[in-house]
Amino acid sequence: MRYGFVIDQDRCIGCHACTVACKEEHQVPIGVFRTWVKYVEKGEFPHTSRHFGVMRCNHCDSAPCVEICPTRALYRRSDGIIDFDNKRCIGCKGCMQACPYDALYIDPNTNTAAKCNFCAHRVENKIEPACVIVCPTQAILAGDLDDPASKVSRVVATQKVSVRKPQKGTEPKLFYKGIEGDVIQPARLSRQNTYVFAGRDDGHDNHRDAGFDPSLTRETYDVAHPAPWGWKIAAYLWTKSIAAGVLMVAALLAGPVGPGVWLRVFSPGIAVVALIVTGALLIFDLKRPERFIYLLTKSNFRSWLVLGAYILMAYGALATAWLLGIFEMPAHVPLFSWRTMLTLILSAASAGYSAFLFAQAKGRDLWQSPMFLWHLLLHALIAGAAVLIIVGWFLGEFLVIEGSMFVLMLAMMVSLLMVLAELALPHVSEDAKRAADTLTRGRLRLRFWGLVIGAGLALPIVLAISVLSSKVEKDFTSILVAVFALAGVWFFEDAWVKAGQAAPLS
Amino acid sequence: MKDLPLNPSALDLDPPKSGLSSFPTAERWDDWTEYDPAQWPKKVEKHYSLIPTICFNCEAACGLLAYVDKETQQIQKFEGNPAHPGSRGRNCAKGPATINQVNDPERVLYPLRRTGKRGEGKWERVTWDVVLDDLAGRIRSALKEGRKNEIMYHVGRPGHELIYNQRVLHAWGIDAHNSHTNVCSAGARTGYAFWHGLDRPSPDYANARFILLLSSHLEAGHYFNPHAQRIIDGKASGAKICVMDTRLSNTATKADYWLSPWPGSEAAILLAMCRILLEENLYDREFVRKWVNWQEYLRQECPQSPQTFEVFVEVLKQTYSIYTPEFAAKESGVDARLIVEVAHEVARAGPAVATHVWRNAAAGNLGGWQVSRALEFLTVLVGAVGAVGGTSPSGWNKFIPQPPNMPPPPNAWNEMMWAPEYPLAFFEMSFLLPHFLKEGRGKLAMYFTRVYNPVWTNPDGLSWIEALNDEAKVECHACLTPTWSETAWFADYVLPMGHASERHDLMSQETHAARWIGFRQPVLRVAMEKAGREFNSTYEAHRECGLGEVWEEDEFWIELSWRIDPDGSMGIRKYFESPYRPGEKLKIGEYYRWIFENLKGLPETAAKEGLTAYDFMRKYGAFLVEDNIYENHAKSLEQNVLKDSSIDPVTGVISRQGNRVGVQIENRPCQGFPTPSGKLEFYSQTLKDWKWPEYAIPTYVKSHVHRDLIDAEKGEMLLLPTFRLPTLIHSRSGNSKWLYEISHKNPVWMHTQDAERLQVATGDLVRVQTAIGYFVDKVWVTEAIRPGVIACSHHLGRWRLQEDSGGERWSTALVDLKQINPGQWMMRQVHGIEPFQSPDPDSSRIHWQDPGVHQNLVFPVQPDPISGQHCWHQKVTVTMARPEDLYGDVFVDTNKAHEEYRRWLEMTRPAPGPDNLRRPLWIARVYRPATEAFYFKKQV
Repeated sequence: MRYGFVIDQDRCIGCHACTVACKEEHQVPIGVFRTWVKYVEKGEFPHTSRHFGVMRCNHCDSAPCVEICPTRALYRRSDGIIDFDNKRCIGCKGCMQACPYDALYIDPNTNTAAKCNFCAHRVENKIEPACVIVCPTQAILAGDLDDPASKVSRVVATQKVSVRKPQKGTEPKLFYKGIEGDVIQPARLSRQNTYVFAGRDDGHDNHRDAGFDPSLTRETYDVAHPAPWGWKIAAYLWTKSIAAGVLMVAALLAGPVGPGVWLRVFSPGIAVVALIVTGALLIFDLKRPERFIYLLTKSNFRSWLVLGAYILMAYGALATAWLLGIFEMPAHVPLFSWRTMLTLILSAASAGYSAFLFAQAKGRDLWQSPMFLWHLLLHALIAGAAVLIIVGWFLGEFLVIEGSMFVLMLAMMVSLLMVLAELALPHVSEDAKRAADTLTRGRLRLRFWGLVIGAGLALPIVLAISVLSSKVEKDFTSILVAVFALAGVWFFEDAWVKAGQAAPLS
Repeated sequence: MKDLPLNPSALDLDPPKSGLSSFPTAERWDDWTEYDPAQWPKKVEKHYSLIPTICFNCEAACGLLAYVDKETQQIQKFEGNPAHPGSRGRNCAKGPATINQVNDPERVLYPLRRTGKRGEGKWERVTWDVVLDDLAGRIRSALKEGRKNEIMYHVGRPGHELIYNQRVLHAWGIDAHNSHTNVCSAGARTGYAFWHGLDRPSPDYANARFILLLSSHLEAGHYFNPHAQRIIDGKASGAKICVMDTRLSNTATKADYWLSPWPGSEAAILLAMCRILLEENLYDREFVRKWVNWQEYLRQECPQSPQTFEVFVEVLKQTYSIYTPEFAAKESGVDARLIVEVAHEVARAGPAVATHVWRNAAAGNLGGWQVSRALEFLTVLVGAVGAVGGTSPSGWNKFIPQPPNMPPPPNAWNEMMWAPEYPLAFFEMSFLLPHFLKEGRGKLAMYFTRVYNPVWTNPDGLSWIEALNDEAKVECHACLTPTWSETAWFADYVLPMGHASERHDLMSQETHAARWIGFRQPVLRVAMEKAGREFNSTYEAHRECGLGEVWEEDEFWIELSWRIDPDGSMGIRKYFESPYRPGEKLKIGEYYRWIFENLKGLPETAAKEGLTAYDFMRKYGAFLVEDNIYENHAKSLEQNVLKDSSIDPVTGVISRQGNRVGVQIENRPCQGFPTPSGKLEFYSQTLKDWKWPEYAIPTYVKSHVHRDLIDAEKGEMLLLPTFRLPTLIHSRSGNSKWLYEISHKNPVWMHTQDAERLQVATGDLVRVQTAIGYFVDKVWVTEAIRPGVIACSHHLGRWRLQEDSGGERWSTALVDLKQINPGQWMMRQVHGIEPFQSPDPDSSRIHWQDPGVHQNLVFPVQPDPISGQHCWHQKVTVTMARPEDLYGDVFVDTNKAHEEYRRWLEMTRPAPGPDNLRRPLWIARVYRPATEAFYFKKQV
């Protein structure tokens, strides 16, 4: 048994009956949709045409939302339906990032994720989903794809059908018949500042928004899908870079610099505080923060949200032990002691696991970049070194400043090269290109070039070189380098989170 | 699809062996169990009583099935009713949105009476008793004092109309029914009626080979959902579709051919197609020879020529030779080759050609009624009238069961509606009422508006406000409405009437080649009655389930009539007595019981299920009276009809006791058509007799917005203001949050070239100036409209005058409306739509702000002198907005509006017609009075 939909766009008349019937069946609040009808127009008068696309969950056989969901609130039923249990959902919004089809939303009544569930409660009653029975033209078919005699199977077997974003490997079980290609390729669409009968305020960036170009296909109606992740996620990356980086750099410098209060107290102390802030940001970004414990009690070990939580806990234990003197980082020992290695591994894991989490956000092409892991590790080095520069400055430990400054300079140089290389290399997809365009010439270009590249990387590199090329003293330049570097990391994380969500998924 | 049962008695919806079924089986409707989706995946069972009713959100009358929670006695949801032959279990977005209307926190739940000045916005709650006594007293006085014409009942969305409210008004002995039809469909109706007597087309889309639409039936219109189903079925079976619509509608985009004519040129295109069929001998010669009144035409117009069909064809070819494809192309802007191609497709498909025009061009243009006439000409030429896959006259596919106790038609004629200047007007000159009042043609002692919002819907709404505010002209105004409206604000009583699930009505529409009835019911009352409760009135039932004192018209009119004549001395009461309990007041259940018991075939069908006719209708909500209706005109007259009949030797018309009953065709007595000739009337003697000889045959009338009359150099354009959206209800969607979030604003569609010329982009403001005022709206730049034409949907731009009352806050702007000089009105939006607090948490999450712009206010009345249809299209001057202009601004000068009224009035050719008639006797008239009322009283 493998339930799936066929939506026959040749029969669809764009009437929105499915949208409203679905809202009625599930009492879906206004502003969010389990299914909706997208409108596009193309051609020039009098050879103009309008096309519709009924958008919703694709009930993927390989569903990224199920994989990322940390509490197994989303799951695949034995009949192929991707269903959810909102009593398990913590509102992390990971599923919204994982889904390449904009199928999920946060229900404002329950603050939990929801989507089309194939009306599983009706299907168990042997009744078709609400959208199927309301459709005036019977454009929506629901049935068993494993049954070769079912209507859906016959259409899929004998007609020209297509699926959305097959390149994502999600194996959708929603097949479109007769759909206009541009409807399911949002990157190809141009948009005006409004829709025809409704306002448009989804916050998506689009360099084609500027004017009306009749030669492009125009999106004339869609529903808003605002970016699920905001400043708290950027801030979590930032504080986590500090938390992970400070012990990472401390471990590297322990040998060359030698023991001291910077190593024994300040480094682990800062790591612990930054970790607590990191955890707080994560928890308060949840729509159901009081359910954060479900991460541990209802763990989905395929989700990097869960794995990340365990990594952070392990790292937190290490930092606490270090602070309590249980785990003493020996100074003046060979670099490759087991303690150093353990610290480096756990801090690198803490810094870097987010790359795997972001990669599980399968909807976001920019975040699929394999370089992101290296960005995060470099951010940890930069942030950790910057923090230790400040610590050294206050303690008057010039060796700490000098060592950190060296690490900082190297990390930033590599980081700058990597950022530029990433933007210069061809992008894996149109969506990734558009996200990158958002940074380089779109909405975020001033922040990107001015704050991330200029003030956040180039300037501190120059300053760091000048500091290192003279005798290190207790001057404000070192502090400036640290502050600019930390700010640079923050602006990068913020831009990366924003740009990753800039391209519309549907 | 054909595999769905059309007849409820054939309803076996057993779930298929494997797979899913669409609907619960009928035997489980009284106790249906399903899992609560809100608690899913926890399996919590809920028990429902499934009660059918009829949607009220357009005229299509689709079936709904209300899921009434047995525990809470609340409606959980509405799905489609699979037993409904028209809608077949399916609905458009407006069907399920009914639940929003029921649960709307903004709705009016109790009768309200104004306390301040009219229009001031001060209200108090009163009882139905107070309302009924006051209204009954006023009506009784008017009737007793011979002021019959001072009572008027004005309806927007019909429900229980047809003969059911005729029963009421005729029992009172008055001619009082006024409708919205002349701002809607009168144009198209007129053109159809001159052809075949019946005023609507009933296309058999599902079986058509070619579908020609001057309509947007895949998104709106009569009858959107049932027709859309069948158009798409036809398309899937290979039919080709051509849509003629100036803007790219959703319907047009599904068509094989989109023809975007300059508005008003449609008849030229259609007649060019007719010419092609004639010239190339592609028409159905036998059909035309048998069924068209060509003999009459030759007799009257070519008496010297041989009276043969061949001569007729020659004259026809000659007459229409001017309508070359090139001529049509010049008029319309549509490529001549495309016109030829479509004509050939029509010919290839004949007679399976389904055609339809409902509003569109017929409602937009001076002479618009000739558009439907030209379309029907094409339909006749290919012999598609009554054919399988063709287009039947509406009446064949509509069924109106008789109510008990029908009063005789009164000898009364109300010139406030049926004005002598418009003797051929197909319906009442409703939208001229403010001007009639202004001219002193009369006053109204009692004015009912019923689900009707003339201030907002009609052209020239500010003249309506002026009229309604004049308490000397309109002494009492009662607004029967399920929602607040702009018009209700200017009433003395706001009387809450039910939505789809809160009222009784009997419906029938010509959705396909069959006849059916649908039963609208107050589902909560029915559910409670099924559980053993009894109620005297629907509002008492509603009171029990938290619906305030929302009532329904059927019972309201019975109660009101009873109070007008409590002792029966006026001869009114007897029509409101029970047919089962002599002398006692008619109960609603008895009323429908009588109707259903006397409906041929229904008691027998019900008996097969062991039900009474009434219980059958309560259970299924619909009944298929007759299926597969084709070629009624060719059916032989039965012997009992022929008895004592006579045949006119010249015309072949068969009469019996002075009434036309049929027509002799090739020595066979046939039913024919309800026209004077009994045939399809290519030639209308009536039009000639009533002073319009130039229009005796189908012709192309130059519209009031013809290209020659629009000077693009001066910034003039044509505004097409009529189109509808699939999600909205004329003026009653404001309470449907799920509809409004999808569509809530109505920018002016403008072609890229025009936008460049005016140097505006999407979102910029423009001022659109008509003869009487202007409005300011935003632009939507698009390739979906013809250059030189702008278009604006008519649904939006709702407003209210007070922050917390008088309009749905889901959908209305708060506006400031001022009379800055006598007759000069300025409206400005104070704020758009804003979130508000209510028991529905969604109201605080409203994410739309833009309410749209109310354009109809700035349209003068433009009545077609023949059909009486308001000609909606506007000649406008479009400019960039001025610095002082704000979005939503409306300015109107009602003095100029009255001048425009006078200008259009001058085009008329008033009655009397032959025999001192007010109106031709043969043309249908709603709420038809006694024949003697049709004659002007002889001057003494």
